Amino acid sequence: MVTQFLGLKLRLILNLFRRSPLQVVGIVIGLLYALGAAGVTVEGLAALRRVDPLLAGNITVTVGSVIVFGFLAVPLAFGVDHTLDPRSFALFGFPTNRLASALALAGLVGLPALFITAIAVAQVVTWARDPLSVLFASISAVVIIATCVLGARVSSSLASLLLATRRAREITTLIVLIALVSLAPVVAVLASVDWNRDGLAVLKSVADIAGWTPLGAVWSAPAEVASGNVGAAVLKLLISLTVVGLLWLAWRALVGWLLISSPRREGGTHYRGLGWFGRLPDSPVGAIAARSVTYWIRDARYHTALLAVPVAPLLFVIALAVAGVPGSVLALVPVPVMCLFLAWSTHNDVAFDSSAVWLHLASNAPGWADRFGRLVPALLIGIPLVLIGSPLSVAISGDNSVLPSLIGVSSSLLFAGLGVSSVVSARFPYPSVRPGDSPFAQPQASGTGAGLIQSVAFFAAIVLSLPALLFAALGLLNPGVHSWPLVTLVVGVGLGLVLLALGVLWGGRIFTRRAPELLAFTLRQ
Amino acid sequence: MLVVSELVKRFGDTVAVDHISVSVPAGTIFGIVGPNGAGKTTTLSMVTGLLRPDGGSVSVHGADVWTDPAVAKRNMGVLPDRLRLFDRLTGSQLLYYAGTLRGLDARTVKRRSTDLAAAFGLEDALGRLVSDYSAGMTKKIALACAMIHSPRLLVLDEPFESVDPVSAVNITSILQKYVAAGGTVVLSSHSTDLVERICDRVAIVVNGRVLVSGTMADVRGAGSLEARFLELAGGRKTAEGMEWLHSFSD
Repeated sequence: MVTQFLGLKLRLILNLFRRSPLQVVGIVIGLLYALGAAGVTVEGLAALRRVDPLLAGNITVTVGSVIVFGFLAVPLAFGVDHTLDPRSFALFGFPTNRLASALALAGLVGLPALFITAIAVAQVVTWARDPLSVLFASISAVVIIATCVLGARVSSSLASLLLATRRAREITTLIVLIALVSLAPVVAVLASVDWNRDGLAVLKSVADIAGWTPLGAVWSAPAEVASGNVGAAVLKLLISLTVVGLLWLAWRALVGWLLISSPRREGGTHYRGLGWFGRLPDSPVGAIAARSVTYWIRDARYHTALLAVPVAPLLFVIALAVAGVPGSVLALVPVPVMCLFLAWSTHNDVAFDSSAVWLHLASNAPGWADRFGRLVPALLIGIPLVLIGSPLSVAISGDNSVLPSLIGVSSSLLFAGLGVSSVVSARFPYPSVRPGDSPFAQPQASGTGAGLIQSVAFFAAIVLSLPALLFAALGLLNPGVHSWPLVTLVVGVGLGLVLLALGVLWGGRIFTRRAPELLAFTLRQ
Repeated sequence: MLVVSELVKRFGDTVAVDHISVSVPAGTIFGIVGPNGAGKTTTLSMVTGLLRPDGGSVSVHGADVWTDPAVAKRNMGVLPDRLRLFDRLTGSQLLYYAGTLRGLDARTVKRRSTDLAAAFGLEDALGRLVSDYSAGMTKKIALACAMIHSPRLLVLDEPFESVDPVSAVNITSILQKYVAAGGTVVLSSHSTDLVERICDRVAIVVNGRVLVSGTMADVRGAGSLEARFLELAGGRKTAEGMEWLHSFSD
């Protein structure tokens, strides 16, 4: 049975390569990247052999704890690997113990296991200083592999149990995204440490604590032996063996539980009334707008797109700050960039509907109403953003005269961008994440010019806003002339609105003409 | 009434719908039966304006679906098979959406939503997201959406699939009253029994062609509709070489 499971796992891995050439190229790049990362880590660990045991221990414990944490956290955060889910074998009637051990052993085949094995072996090289250290490091190596492989299986099974409902998945997605966003201050704190002076002290205090936790004890044991603390080493090895034992018991219990539990069904919350449908006019365009607003609020796929809106300017500002751009100019960057991304985020809206868009066809909804209704959520966010964000930015920058320019440029990017998105989403939809799937899931068919469409939609908005940008630049370069900011305001808002109207009408005509082809496209996805 | 003439649809080399013509008089329930892959859904998609035909025409009460869609689609209520709904809306939001897209005002939609929910037994489900509905409930809310603008013609693809028997009887009586008042129903189904029971007229479609079409009495002749269907669709294939199935392994 074990050989069959190992064979099955190998076959699953080989099947990764039986896809379209573009996807295979992507997988190969990912593979090379993983191999590179593993290679660098292995090389580093081998090089530590000549380093003082205290320092080497601090490094292996810190890096090792991060790696073990990764094995535990990644399956929880990014969803579950459904290959070899214990549930798939429920109908074969294997005894639970045998199934649990066979599945755990099958976990040894695969890239993550290969990666951790290489590192565990390299860690033995680090401690190849005296026979006792080698002995402890070898035991540690086996325990490291067992901890990581079992830990990943336990946490992915937990994820499949706890995250079975759509609501739970959406909440996790949000938590992960918020965690990613809040990593920025952590990075800032880490960047503020003077590594040349305090680096080693920080490393030591981290390693001292991590060395006694389930994450780091196994890495710390050989380090303690090499430093002469055999007692501490035995204790730490016992901790890590207990961890593996507990993980095994958890895994065994989870397999048993998964075999008899059916996938959870959710009860569903009750919503009262019509929500946004009651607040917007009872016309086709009002209804489509209300539907879009509801989806922006309820659908995790829109949340991911929305979270890019505040994150993108953050990265922009950091990059510009590193390049030495002064703060008074930096303060003016976020609002226009957010407007650009907000408008751009609607450029594949029809694909998000999937085949549900049939309702618009069957009702013969006017094309312009479909186009405009979909833009309403972006307008509801974008217009207050410009009106509140611009004065704030100007206040931070300290130059009041640029306020009209800022409003002009931001409005132009928002309105023109929405106009472009309106045409692009009707004429050039490309496959996106399907309703109900994880926002991180890969589209079923990628590589159909999606990248090109994304870039064109992005840069078209900038090109169409060039007049406003040009006048704003003239205003910045000639601070004495007070008419340039006003010209920017009029041109930005005026041209933006004209482009928005044109985009909605043109996109509407395309939608009306190509509606059956759009539906056929969503069915091909 | 609905007149379909010489509809053709090709997907690559295969001809999915091969010159289908049917005419459905007002005030009748018209059933389309056929084996899997016969082209029923493809035909109904072209009739409702969801799929562009390669040839032929469809007219609903005199208005051509593909040249005068505004009039034709206003007169038509549609239940497609296997297409998604906007299922992140609650049941009442979806009904409201379907109604207002058709140009109804808020008061009318709300009144009709209440009636439809009562008729389909969905009162308790209106506040829940459609994505949390069971397959049968999803079918019923989609049916309600197809009826909310009181069209003259209902085109229903597999309206009884995964619907429980009580609801099926319920839906049947709603459709029969609708037809008695002058409405027209076109429905497709795998179930020859059901079609035989509720349809006035029937067409048997095999491999994209109408093999026979007419009143129920004409089509079924002396036997049952199922017998006639099996005879036309190529009859039963006897399952040979399956004896191992009867030798139970322990």
